[in-house]
Amino acid sequence: MKYSYMPGCSLLTTARGYDVSARAVVRELGSELIELDDWNCCGANVIDSTSYLLSLALPARNLALAESENRELVTTCSSCYFNLFRASHLVSKDASLRDKLDQILAAAHLRYLGQRRVRHLLDVLVNDIGIKTVADRVVKKLTGLKVITYYGCQIARAHDEYDSPYLLSAVDSLIEAVGAESLHYLWKTRCCGSVLMTTERTVGLKLVTELLTATHGADCIVTVCPMCQMNLDAYQDEISVRLGARIRIPVLFITQLMGLAFGLSEKDILLEQNIVPAKGLLHRLEKAGERDYR
Amino acid sequence: MGEKAFELKREMLDHTFIDLVSPDRKKLLTCIQCGTCTASCPTAYAMDYTPRQLWRLIQFGLKKEVMSANSFWLCTACYACTAHCLRGIACTETMTTLRRTAMSLQVGNTGSMARFCEAFSETVRRHGRLNEIELMTTFFSKAKHMWAVGYSRLGITLWRKGRVSLGPSSLNVDRLEQIEAIYRKVEELESKR
Repeated sequence: MKYSYMPGCSLLTTARGYDVSARAVVRELGSELIELDDWNCCGANVIDSTSYLLSLALPARNLALAESENRELVTTCSSCYFNLFRASHLVSKDASLRDKLDQILAAAHLRYLGQRRVRHLLDVLVNDIGIKTVADRVVKKLTGLKVITYYGCQIARAHDEYDSPYLLSAVDSLIEAVGAESLHYLWKTRCCGSVLMTTERTVGLKLVTELLTATHGADCIVTVCPMCQMNLDAYQDEISVRLGARIRIPVLFITQLMGLAFGLSEKDILLEQNIVPAKGLLHRLEKAGERDYR
Repeated sequence: MGEKAFELKREMLDHTFIDLVSPDRKKLLTCIQCGTCTASCPTAYAMDYTPRQLWRLIQFGLKKEVMSANSFWLCTACYACTAHCLRGIACTETMTTLRRTAMSLQVGNTGSMARFCEAFSETVRRHGRLNEIELMTTFFSKAKHMWAVGYSRLGITLWRKGRVSLGPSSLNVDRLEQIEAIYRKVEELESKR
């Protein structure tokens, strides 16, 4: 199946590994992500502090573009997903808001009819493609790999009709499908601090420290959000110094982990871009397995 | 977070305040102070007033106390409070409404987060997408931040890993006009109110 795809701004730069591995994994599973032409920033969780209408109009433009392409719109970024969902949801509920958004989009010669909803890649992987297809595609079972499944906050929460329950087991079921073990983790949907790491660093660092220190015994963290990956991956050295204890745990995107199990090369999933080295994760796993065997 | 004591005087109460900052006044008035929001909040510990305390102050109309608190600037918009609120109060949306109010009234601690939000919006207006390098340079110059040094180290790490792109990823020029048109129309509609 073909989907319209909006990678989101982070996936063009700091989270390129997510973009590249998502496209590769979906291709391997027989579907295709076709990038939406000239999609724009969804506003992240920032624009709504400056303007309420803008925080709905920016995602609404993408929804309008996707409608004209007549395919389902898929995104990989939690923030994009949340904002696109929020816009389509609020517009369907509130006629006066809908009128305002119609006016704003009309100024850009666009129209959003409200016929398209956004879908997260996880939803596509689990509900369209299916866990069985994923498991069947595995050539290198990740047996013995202990994974912390971290969903982050935005994908997990939102408005009254939000469809989180199945998404909140989606990553765990994918991890099991590739043969790895998802460990119990209390902070699965706890916020990583988001932009506080930039604006209020001490507060941001404390949140990430809490998340990281609870990952004891795991080989890696797996996440589905570009912001979470960045916050958990990029500050481990600084946190280690502050704690006086070394924390060093690779943080992978779910699609990178799936890519490994599908036998894709580390280059195919841009594993060299992870800050805490994730390269050689499988090699280390194999070596540890041999040692146990002896 | 703490127990701030102050003497309550009648003239401190502004009963129109709740309409200004709450997307849903009726629901906010039903807050029973159970504290589930505060218990769910990852940054409540650093707030002048916890979310629970903040709702109470808004109910009373204690505008100055609320607007000068750092609480809503520390909200990460993780929606944990909204998801858990037994009364169905739009807690997170109230936090962002408080930010917008503070920014438009130019009151309270409109510190680094406000500068960050402005810088973010400016770069999206210019390119249609977020350009991280431009965002950080604009933000650090606006906020006159001393942390810029610390961040340049992160920047170098990301650069070495190939996670920074120098050229801004912009939309095609004709599509950028749509973005500008959207910004203009939003400004027009919001100034009417």
